[in-house]
Amino acid sequence: MYKIAQQFSLLALVLISVLTSCETPYVPPTTDADQQYVVEGFIEEGEGSLPTYVMVTKSIPYLSTIGPDVFANLFVKDAAVVVNDGDKSVQLTKLCLNDLPDELRKAALQNLGLNPDSTVLDICLYVDLLNQINKKQGGKYDLTVTIGQQILTASTTIPKHVPITSHRWDEPPGEPNDTFARLWITINDNAGLKDYYRYMTTDKDNRTLFAPPQSVNDDSFFDGKNFEFPLNKATQRDTVTNFDTFGLYMRGDSVSIKWMNLDAEHFGFWQTRDASATRGGPFSSYIRIKSNIKGGLGIWGGYSVSNYKLYCPTK
Amino acid sequence: MRFFTFLLFLLTASIGQAQNSYTLSGYIKDGKTGETLIGANVYNVMNNGEGTTTNNYGFYSITLKEGTYKIVYNYLGYQDQAFEIKFDKDINLNVDLTEGIELTEVVVSAEKEERAKNVEGTQMGTVSLPVENVKKLPALFGEVDILKTLQLLPGVRGGGEGTSGFYVRGGGPDQNLILLDEAVVYNSGHLLGFFSVFNSDAIKNTTLIKGGMPANFGGRLSSVLDIQMKDGNMKEYSAEGGIGLISSRLTLQGPIVKNKTSFIVSGRRTYIGDLLQGAISKSSFSGSNYYFYDLNAKINHKFSDKDRLFFSAYFGRDVLKFAQPKRDFEFNLPYGNKTATLRWNHVFNNKLFFNLSAIYNDYEFQFGGGQEDFKFKLFSGVKDWNLKLDFDYYLGTKHNIKYGANYTYHTLTPNTASATNGDVEFNTTFKPKYANEIGIYLLDDIKFNDKFGVNVGGRLAIFSQVGPYTSKLDGTVYGTFSPAITYTGIEPRVSFRYKSSETSSIKGGVTVTNQFLHLVSNSGSTLPTDVWVPSTEIVKPQKGVQYAVGFFKNFSNDDYETSVEIYYRDLKNQIDYADDYVDDFSKEVEDAFVYGKGRAYGAEFFVKKSTGKLNGWVGYTLSRTERAFDRIENGRWYPAVYDRTHDVSVVANYKLSKRWEIGAIFVYGTGKLFTPINGFFFTEQKLNLFYGPRNSQRLDAYHRADISINYTPNPDSKKKWKGSWNFSVYNIYNRKNPFFINYDVETDFEKGTNTIEGSKITLFPLIPSITYNFKFN
Repeated sequence: MYKIAQQFSLLALVLISVLTSCETPYVPPTTDADQQYVVEGFIEEGEGSLPTYVMVTKSIPYLSTIGPDVFANLFVKDAAVVVNDGDKSVQLTKLCLNDLPDELRKAALQNLGLNPDSTVLDICLYVDLLNQINKKQGGKYDLTVTIGQQILTASTTIPKHVPITSHRWDEPPGEPNDTFARLWITINDNAGLKDYYRYMTTDKDNRTLFAPPQSVNDDSFFDGKNFEFPLNKATQRDTVTNFDTFGLYMRGDSVSIKWMNLDAEHFGFWQTRDASATRGGPFSSYIRIKSNIKGGLGIWGGYSVSNYKLYCPTK
Repeated sequence: MRFFTFLLFLLTASIGQAQNSYTLSGYIKDGKTGETLIGANVYNVMNNGEGTTTNNYGFYSITLKEGTYKIVYNYLGYQDQAFEIKFDKDINLNVDLTEGIELTEVVVSAEKEERAKNVEGTQMGTVSLPVENVKKLPALFGEVDILKTLQLLPGVRGGGEGTSGFYVRGGGPDQNLILLDEAVVYNSGHLLGFFSVFNSDAIKNTTLIKGGMPANFGGRLSSVLDIQMKDGNMKEYSAEGGIGLISSRLTLQGPIVKNKTSFIVSGRRTYIGDLLQGAISKSSFSGSNYYFYDLNAKINHKFSDKDRLFFSAYFGRDVLKFAQPKRDFEFNLPYGNKTATLRWNHVFNNKLFFNLSAIYNDYEFQFGGGQEDFKFKLFSGVKDWNLKLDFDYYLGTKHNIKYGANYTYHTLTPNTASATNGDVEFNTTFKPKYANEIGIYLLDDIKFNDKFGVNVGGRLAIFSQVGPYTSKLDGTVYGTFSPAITYTGIEPRVSFRYKSSETSSIKGGVTVTNQFLHLVSNSGSTLPTDVWVPSTEIVKPQKGVQYAVGFFKNFSNDDYETSVEIYYRDLKNQIDYADDYVDDFSKEVEDAFVYGKGRAYGAEFFVKKSTGKLNGWVGYTLSRTERAFDRIENGRWYPAVYDRTHDVSVVANYKLSKRWEIGAIFVYGTGKLFTPINGFFFTEQKLNLFYGPRNSQRLDAYHRADISINYTPNPDSKKKWKGSWNFSVYNIYNRKNPFFINYDVETDFEKGTNTIEGSKITLFPLIPSITYNFKFN
């Protein structure tokens, strides 16, 4: 809300300047930035949780256009990825999705938030295929990624889960509207415990989960309360925001919701990542995205999850 | 302590000098309006120009040995008055000077005396800007702005394209003490700082002290901007104003009781949002609007020559309303300052002038709105109650002593957020923070002989965070006014002047300062959303030491004033946010601060011509400003965002005739620093940016020229209504100065393509404006 205020406080400025301001192309001087390894790995516990997986990619230096050739080399395919659950170490298995049977490939891509029909990229990841890791709430999980001589390490936890206890559909605010509805959910937050939340929803196809632009929250304003709040629908990536329908659900649609708890470090990554994506311009400073990866970028994050399938009733 | 003993020694040593001498004292005023004149000269022409100047209230006092002397009173732009005065008793003499621009001999001498201050004064880095001169210069959208004109002085730079925020000698924007009739102004900008809150029609005098801050000022590290409002015409009623493209203004003043009581009321309001209502009302955002306004008012009463009372007030607001009726969503964002100052001037005797001020000031930022049953409100602010005693003691012509004390009770409300959703309420539990600030000072401006003078002083600053407060460190509960932590600062201030010849001098000084209130911004410039925070058990006071030395020389019978000043500033306990900080209203900002150090050094070159048809100045600054924080890139020294290696300004005014006058400005500055993008990485198939070292690249150099033409159709008109036109062109050669870099990113992870287009956004191209100004009396 505050960010909206900051942005709209520019409204007046825009009134006098938008017609007169102009743009000229900017190409930054070449920097000799080192390429860094990026880890994106998650360990989930709960009903409908995904198998533990880790993607290892490389950062890309500033280039104005990146084509499929660069993307093809993005994935690190010769890493040794090991997760320790406190009792044992489990080496994850490399899996390149193009090597899978078609049905499996489609399912895997959807779980990663990608459209199987249009994805041409061969995505490779490291997966706990045999579900050997003992995943439990309160558990601590250490990750070691070895690429040649370089070793990346990280640690995360799976926090206690706070599920959605109820939900209801409501008229959207403002002018009467039969097409859209607002979703309210209720949670019973843990008293005295710092809880961090993240969620995703499906968009039109009800297959692929997307995170909203601001995907995380903590319980600072509702610690220990039985708390009801509207849950905005996320939209497909790079969809232009329509302020009239922002966060609303189409009546007659089914929607899936993935509701997650995460620990403070994991929260810090998404909080800075979400904020960084909205930054820019003269009135906001850059944000360096936090990382719990020692020796690289990215996140090794634990989730406790619950999944919900809801139907938005017609009027 | 030794320092204060030294001061006392200087004082006692001087007392004998006053024996067998007599004192001439009084006020110097504008003969037409009764407005007191600040910084007017009084000098004895028969003894090498020994003399004094009027203080902020127009009072002067000069003590000479028994005898008869020719005493001259003068002020820039006014005709001199000279009297032969016999000093055989103490004399009270109030003098009215008449505004006059004829090049008579006396006026020339007045200007000459004014210009000689460049070499004569012991203060360095001090500049006074008469408002009338500021009004002749080009202005963006025709809005005359004192703060933007200050940015044209060497050592002072602006916060960015068109903004009125300023940075002095490597200090942050919160390190400037901005005073309006002695009241601290915590937010000096409207519309994100594009316009200053100071309505030039209500302003009498503006002084910027960027060098050796004298001991009567404290609480900030960098500079003092001391602005005095007009007192109001004691003789007759008058009105003046202007009609511009984005705002209009009107000032009324006059006597309530002639020569006893006067008033002035001045207002300004913008209307660009109102003019656009036709388009806005047809859009999805019907009901949205933005405007700002200022209201200045002052009343003063003269009880006698010994006692005067002033009450002045300022009220200004930015009002932004955003509405989206279709979704029943709206918010209001009002913010602004209000100040009130009650002052009592008392002349105890012809050598001792006293001023007592009771000051209230309040800066509030609010943001509230909602959608259906959901309502939210955000509030932050600063409120001060301030009591101030100042004594001016004129001990002969060689000593001008000032001493006094100042007590301020601060209430600082951090970002407090609250919201309701039907019956459910939630809010942050942050409480306002309270503090006592005490300043005690003593200074003496001493002229040892014709060549050597010093301004020596000291300030004792005591700051206590007081209750009601519960310690975050150990849980101790402090009751009202009970101190949780106290910081004490001893601040010696010394500057000297050595006159190396009739037309040149060397000056130098050391200034030690402490700052107990802080404004930390998480953006490239300051915003109204930034919160002032006090020093607490968590936040330590900022400390600064400035060393400066300069050479001052006048040429061509004082027609040209020149100076070269070099400075070095050492800053401790500087405050910033770490570069992974995200605004979070559930946490107090002080818990997110990181602490570091700073240094700034530079050389300033200044050439000024005040006489003739063509006048103006050229300033050049070569400087470096750096910061280092342990939590930011492991303590690497990096250039501060407002570091600017080269800064040039040329200001010129040419009087073609009585009707036509041309003003021009040219500025050049090294490009603004920014933190570059070093590369990308992906998570959840979204592109993330990762950045290179902080402030390691620069935008293109900034340069621009503006021009203005003032046309007065009937300059000699005897009519009551006098009008003039100001035509301004901002950025006359349409330089596309980059304001910031914008990146448009398009990623299709599924297809494996990504494009990023950087573009330089330019804010203000060539902008013409026209303003009609009028006076009626």
